[in-house]
Amino acid sequence: MATTACFIIVSRNDIPIYETELGSAAKREDAAQLHQFILHAALDVVQDLAWTTSAMFLKAIDRFNDLVVSVYVTAGHTRFMLLHDSRSDDGIKSFFQEVHELYIKTLLNPLYLPGSRITSSHFDTKVRGLGRKYL
Amino acid sequence: MGREVSESCVDSLLTEMVSSYCDRFYANKPELAARRIEAIGFQVGHQLSERYTMERPRFSDNLEAIKFICKDFWSELFKKQIDNLKTNHKGTFVLQDNRFRWLARMSIDPSSEDGDLSQDNSAPVTENKATQATSMHLYFPCGIIRGALSNLGIPCAVSADISSLPACSFVVRIKA
Repeated sequence: MATTACFIIVSRNDIPIYETELGSAAKREDAAQLHQFILHAALDVVQDLAWTTSAMFLKAIDRFNDLVVSVYVTAGHTRFMLLHDSRSDDGIKSFFQEVHELYIKTLLNPLYLPGSRITSSHFDTKVRGLGRKYL
Repeated sequence: MGREVSESCVDSLLTEMVSSYCDRFYANKPELAARRIEAIGFQVGHQLSERYTMERPRFSDNLEAIKFICKDFWSELFKKQIDNLKTNHKGTFVLQDNRFRWLARMSIDPSSEDGDLSQDNSAPVTENKATQATSMHLYFPCGIIRGALSNLGIPCAVSADISSLPACSFVVRIKA
């Protein structure tokens, strides 16, 4: 079953620190840019919504055609944004929680400057693995 | 991710860190040593706050974040909560710990032999050295609090007040 998914992590200062395409569907050249565009446009909605609730997992906050944007906000205001075609909420919530753990482990690395791009291939492999598992 | 560390190891590490920075790396520049120790504390506080806020809901305002520091954060670090929290409602908070764990083993008597002090004849100078040595050990916890709060979105300045050992007060001034 082919799924489309695009995942980005945006830091507190509105700088994207990680981006990846996770879906198992065939990737088209223009699709990647469109996905990023949708996610960046959703940032405004996240900004407003984040202050109204103290929950971390904000479910589907924006739609575009048949794609849905779900967001998970941490206490440090780092946003994990996932663009996907409608999947189960539970799977997505578990995906976010596992990525949050990975992100904390990245932060615990003393050589990692908080707010800079995450370039570790290990992190990338793990996120893709989680994407296959939960999405 | 949760593991345990022996407390004596943590104490030795902190003592050694303060003494290396003050006596070896920045031997005659206590202000620089203090800034470096505080910067280490900042990074540690940043990482710890990210870790300890994972399981709980986010904060709705500054007071919630400070209360988190006083209760959950402090109990994870020192196995007890802050004993007293005072505020002037204009961005200044005073966190008072009546028995600060990391200072619990430091001698208060300025005339007794202490590893950090050299023998000195005049009492006021000795007392000053004792206070200075003790205050060096407080830059690290001040940095931790500052790092934790700035990760939660609250830029601030943290200073420590040790007028009555072993009680210790941390004054947090939120930058408008």
